[in-house]
Parts: sequence; C-alpha cells; structure tokens
Amino acid sequence: MSSEDDLHETDTESQFGFKKDEASAFESEKGLTEETVRVISEDKDEPEWMLDRRLRALEQYHKMPMPTDWPGQPDLSDLDVEEIIPYIRPDTDTRGEAESWEDLPDDIKDTFDKLGIPEAEKEALSGVGAQYESEVVYQNMKEQWEKKGVIFMDMDRAVHEHPEIVREYFMTKAVPPSDNKFAALHGAVWSGGSFVYVPEDVSVEMPVQAYFRMNSAGMGQFEHTLIVAEPGAEVHYIEGCSAPQYATHNLHSGAVEVFVKEDAHVQYSTVQNWSRNTYNLNTKRAIAEAGGRMEWVSGSMGSKVTMLYPMTVLNGRGASDNHITIAFAGEGQDIDTGAKVYHNAPETKSTIESKSISKDGGRTNYRGLVHISDGARNSSTSVECDALMFDNESTSDTMPYMEIGESTVDVAHEATVGKIGDEDVFYLQSRGLDDDDAKQMIVAGFIEPITDELPIEYAVELNRLIELEMEGSLG
Amino acid sequence: MSTQLHATITEETVREISETLGEPEWLLETRLDALSVLDDLEYPSVIQTPGRRWTNLEDLDYEAMIDPRSQSEEKDQIGSEQIRVLSFKDAIDEVPDLLEAHFGSLVDPQENRLIALSTALFTTGTVVVIPAGVDAEDVTIRTTMNGRSLFNYTLVVAEENASATILERQESGESVDDERYYSGIVEVAAGENSTVQYGSLQEFDEQTYNYTVKRGEAGRYATVHWIEGNLGSRLTKTQVSTLLESDNAETRIVGAFFGHNDQHFDLDSRVWHRAEHTTADLVTRGVIDDRSRSVYEGTQEVSQEAWDTSSYQRENTLMLSDESEADASPKLLINNHDTEASHSATVGQINREDLFYMVSRGLPEETASNMLVEGFFVPVLEEIDVEELREDLEAGIAARLTD
Repeated sequence: MSSEDDLHETDTESQFGFKKDEASAFESEKGLTEETVRVISEDKDEPEWMLDRRLRALEQYHKMPMPTDWPGQPDLSDLDVEEIIPYIRPDTDTRGEAESWEDLPDDIKDTFDKLGIPEAEKEALSGVGAQYESEVVYQNMKEQWEKKGVIFMDMDRAVHEHPEIVREYFMTKAVPPSDNKFAALHGAVWSGGSFVYVPEDVSVEMPVQAYFRMNSAGMGQFEHTLIVAEPGAEVHYIEGCSAPQYATHNLHSGAVEVFVKEDAHVQYSTVQNWSRNTYNLNTKRAIAEAGGRMEWVSGSMGSKVTMLYPMTVLNGRGASDNHITIAFAGEGQDIDTGAKVYHNAPETKSTIESKSISKDGGRTNYRGLVHISDGARNSSTSVECDALMFDNESTSDTMPYMEIGESTVDVAHEATVGKIGDEDVFYLQSRGLDDDDAKQMIVAGFIEPITDELPIEYAVELNRLIELEMEGSLG
Repeated sequence: MSTQLHATITEETVREISETLGEPEWLLETRLDALSVLDDLEYPSVIQTPGRRWTNLEDLDYEAMIDPRSQSEEKDQIGSEQIRVLSFKDAIDEVPDLLEAHFGSLVDPQENRLIALSTALFTTGTVVVIPAGVDAEDVTIRTTMNGRSLFNYTLVVAEENASATILERQESGESVDDERYYSGIVEVAAGENSTVQYGSLQEFDEQTYNYTVKRGEAGRYATVHWIEGNLGSRLTKTQVSTLLESDNAETRIVGAFFGHNDQHFDLDSRVWHRAEHTTADLVTRGVIDDRSRSVYEGTQEVSQEAWDTSSYQRENTLMLSDESEADASPKLLINNHDTEASHSATVGQINREDLFYMVSRGLPEETASNMLVEGFFVPVLEEIDVEELREDLEAGIAARLTD
C-alpha cells in the first residue's frame, strides 16, 4: 500500500476499488465466502502463503461455533456476522473520495470539541486533511528508528517488505485462527494494523504511537498488530484508537500479537472508545520468554459490547506480566473485559489491576483466568478488582477463574464492589465542590493507578473522556 | 454411559419405593415426572474454562454404581422432645401437609439430571420441624451408607422465632467391593426471626461418589448458617446455597475441606440477595495433598431490588503437594449499587519462614508442618459454634495429618 493511498479516507458508500463486474458478482454472494477472501488478498497483492493462511482461517471460521455458553456473557444475538461481512470490503480497499471534516457525524465532532483537542490534532485524529502533517512526523520518527534497525510500518506493507518475519509470527504462535471464532474471522479478512520490530538490545525510548493508523487506508475493523521485541529490546506501543471511530460498522475484531523475547520489555497501551453500535471482539496475546516483561494498559470506554481479555503466556523463567485495565460502561453498554495469564515457567510473576465504573444501566464485568501450570515453581500472581457503581440500573460482575497446578506458588485474588461513597461526596461538597465535581474528583482518584501509567496526553484524554461520560454528554 | 443412566431405573422401581414408604399420590407423581424427564435434563453445571471442564460428572458410570434396590443405611435421628425429628416414612403420616408444602420448594426436582434422579429414587430422609419459639440445640442425623447407592432427603422447617442446631454426619458403613454413589438433597425453610444452623461432616470412604445439594431460605430477620466439612469421598460435588428473599435475612456459609490421595472436591457456594438489608458471609478454607484436587466456586448475586446489601466471601487453599491442583472462581454479580461486596481467594503453601522458625525451636519438621496446617484451619473452626462438629472436624484433620 502506498502512502498515496493513505491520503484518502474511508468511504463506505462509493467506490470499492475492484472492477465493477467483479464487484457485482461478489455482491451476489451471501455472507463470507472464499471469493471474498480471495478478493481481499488479491487486492492487496498478497503472496500465496498469506492467501493460504486466510483460506485456512476461513475454514476454521465456518467450523467454529459462536461463543454462547460463557456464564453471564454479553448478548451477541443481535450480531449477525453474515450481514456484517460485506462491509469488510470497503475497509479492505478504500480508495473512495476523501470525506471532509464537515462530513463527520455531529456527535463525533462534538466529542472532539469537548475533548478540547486542537483543530490540527482533531483533523489528524479524524483522518481528514491533516495526513500530510502526520505523515511528516511519522516519517521523521521512522528515520530515527530505522537507524537502529527498528521497523514500524503498517501490516499490509510488512507482508511485502518483511515476509520472513511476518511469515514466522503472523497468527502462528500467539493467536492462531483456531483460538476462537472471531480470531478465525480476523485471520480470514484482516486488513491493516501495525507491525513493530525491535532488534536485539535496542530501546525505543519514546512511545511508538499508532495515531497514523487512523489516517491510513484499510484501517478498518480487522486490523492486525504484530510486535516483535528481540532479546533485550524495549518498546512502548500505544494504539491511538482513543478517538471515536467515524465508521458506522458494527463489528470490530482485531488481533494483537506480541513477542517478548528474553529480557525484552514491551508495554502495550490503548484506550478504546468505539462508537456505541460497535461489537468489539478482540483477541490480544503476548508470549514472554525468560526474563521478558509484558505490560498491558487498557481503557475500554466505547462500544456496545466489548469482549476482550488480553492474555500473556509466561513461557520463560522469570518472565513477568502486568495488566492494568479500566472499563467504563454507560447506558446500553456491556463491557466484558479482563485478563488472562498462563504461568508456564518457574519464577514467573503477574499482577492484574482492574477498575471498572458502571453508570446509567451499563454493565461491566471482570472475567479473568490465571493458570499456573505444574512446574511453574515459585510463581506468584495477584489480582485486584475494584468496581464502582453509580446507580441501581447498572450492573457490575466479577468472574475470575484460577487454575493452580503447582504448590510452590502465591496466588491472591481480591475484588470489591461499592457505590460511590456518600461520605466522600459529602466531604468534598462541604469543601465547596458541587455534586458533579465531587463525583468526578472521586472517579479521577479511583482510576489514578491507570492514568499514572499512561503518557500524559492519553491520561488527560482518558480523564476528559470520563468526565464527558459522567456528564452524559458523550455521543 | 450417561444415556444408559436409567437402564436399571424403571417406573416399576419408583412405584415400588413409593409404595413401601406409603406415599401420597402427589409425591409419586413428582417422582415419576422427574424420572420421565431424566434424559432431557443437563448434568449439574460445573465450571468450564477454555479447553477444560473442571469436574466431569457426565463421565461417571452411574449405571454401575446405582442399585436402587440395595439402598441400605443406618440412621440416628435424635432431637429434643419439643421438636419433631421424623423419618421420612413417619413424616408422610404425621406431617403430610407440611411435607407437601415444602418438598421441592427450594430445590426443583427437575433442576438437573442428578437432582431428578435423587427425587425419583430416594428411599430415606429426615424431616425436622421446630415449632414457633422453640430452641432446639441438638439435633443429630447420622447417616451410614451400607449399599451400593443411597438417595437421601432432608427437610428442616423452623417456624417463627425458633432456633435449631442440626448436625448431620455422613459416613460409609459396611464396605462394598466397588464404587458407590451417595446423593443427598437438603431443604431448609427458616421462618421469620428464626435461626437454623446446619452443620455437616462428610466422611465417606474413598470409593464413594457424592452429590449433594443444600439450599436454605431465610425469612425476615432469620439466619441460615451452613457449616460444610468435607473430608471423605472419592469425588464430591456439592452446592450449598441460601436464598435471601426477605428483608434483613442473613446467611453464613463456613466450609472446611482436606483432600488427599486422588480425592476430588467440587464445592459450590451461592447466595442470592433479593431483598433489602440482607447479609452474607462466606468463608472456606481447605488443604489439598497428594494428587487431590479442589474446585471452589462461590457466587454472590445481588439483584436490583436488594438495597443495602452486605456480602463477603473469602476462600483460602493450602497446597501440600505438587501433584495436587486447586482451582477457584469466586464470583460477584452485582445489580444494585447500594452494596458493599467483596470476595477474595488465595492459594499458597506452608509459609517456609514459619516452618523454619518452628524447626529452629526444636520441633521436628513434620510436627511443625502439621501444626501449621492445623493452624491454617483455625479461622474457619472459630466460625463453627457447634462444639461437637468443631471437635470432630479438628479430630478428622488431625487424623488425616498423621495418615
């Protein structure tokens, strides 16, 4: 994909880039077919092996059932994957006419305004007009990294430019298509995403931010992120989907694969704020070798339904994992999120810190699995979940699972649920704050452990998003 | 296998059992209905995580274990004169209305396949009635299982302002060459302002497969207090639960278990908060050794109308062996924000520093280790007000340690 293409904006209504006769033949197919997959692959001019992988994933996808038997799982009955699939096509190749800022839905423009995001950044975030600027920034950064051998590019391009690395890691070890139905779907129709490769002992000091993703074409609902940190490498990757998506699609099913080699350190941070009609069904997984350290920081704000449980497999001695997650569910939202950790080696450590807020009938759930394999001697894990509830229409659940097959371990799980403290509110009011400000301040304090981990601009944005959420003024 | 579950279990058998007990028509119908839907029902739900089912009830060879005609037991049913402790047969004659009103009211006879099986086949039981205002401190039900299989039913009805302490002991009597099956259903209806303390000590031999469901409902200002001691059996799947459907109702579920060899304990506690100002406290401690395995599930469910709920749960497992496995899933399901709820679970082994300290004071390592295990149980033992049960449980733990 050329950078030329990046200049254009997703247009779901008009041209799709394949020839008319093909398109109409294709349109007559119902649901997701082999032909769809072939068209996507051909359109990206992919090598044969990638097409094969897509087709195998498609086969898996058709074989696998929808997840329906999890206790208390979000309702997916309104999600008709077969109906959604045809919408992939505009995502996979979007050479339509550029949308202008004015064409964005009002609620999204309002949100940007309320976020206090400056005009230039606003445009960059919305993917309109400012690509030039952001492209320059991106190019500068790229040069700086390239000198050290760091590769950072979009996933489609990586397939062409770094086939040997992509071929080794892409959906082979961390997220195989057989993992779950949506991983299989993703494997068949994935498009776009980021590829990050950090060579041995290289530290990328500044966070690698994928804001640019919003600008580039094909950044649709099935983006794939692959991060490989060679031994001793260090990188902090931030996914910039902190802005609401303008897409009107209803399914987001991305995949993130992270390889943390010996003594490497990867932090992956993201704040998602998908539009309120989105099913956000993502698979994110890291594999950490000896001494490797993985950190997940995630905020889940938007979407109608989110099912997301970032997972780390600790395969090497002394590998460690930290999860910090925050979920905020407002009206009509079901945010089912948590963390999974597999301890497969001795002296591995993990901590999970989860905070959730539910309000106006929203539901949050912490669903987590900590597995300690026989032989993972002297491993330890601690899970802490705190839920804050604003009103009686909301729901907050905690469903942790702990599978412990090794005796020399230290496992602790703790969860609390409570309403916002009347006494705290009263105290703050007595100091002159009004009710809303008092509550906002309490929430800000509640989520501080998360915002502390984020670079300042994300922390500010997250706080601002939560403030907006609490004012009930967010789209 | 499972589909053959009913091969030896026929309508004729059920009619025979019912006739022997001299049952009224409604009960026979209940049994027959349960029998007829057996194959359509699911096995009791167990925890499932990707790729594994934590307890495989459907793999058991029920057909081989269940012999409805060999149900044999010894039962001691002891209580004070003010209350009624009746065998099931006597209860049919003496308190028929009460039986009809309460039987199956908390545990639906068709809730799952194993409950339906129990309903169809039970031959024995105990009915305890505590009249209004009476305090009954010592009711003992001792069940000794002699045949291949035994299906047992217990009903406790405490009227207003009554209180009772009931102690159930379950053990294997005459040994049987092969695997055997015990199934028990317990329903406790605690009327307004009453207190029912139901303690159970399960010490079956390790050829026994045990499925037990205990469910209580606490009325206004009433308390249902469960004590669950599990030491015996090859496999135990038990659910202890309380419905808090009246204002100010309260429950406590205190559990202790100690598994060794290849024992498998699947312990499930559940509390439903469905009224205002209800309180629940769940405390379980267990030790597993050798190749044994514990599965713990504790669920606190707070419904939308349950204002001002307090609900706490803690579960701690001590692992003595590397071949053992401890699985836990404490769950909070909260639909009312006016709730104070928490749960916690830990798994670990004997603290090495404590052990070192004691050994350095001259104790042999084994003695020191045993003392630490006994000490680990103290917080739950302290929750047990029934002296006899506490002492027996302590003795059982001590005996297991010197095995």
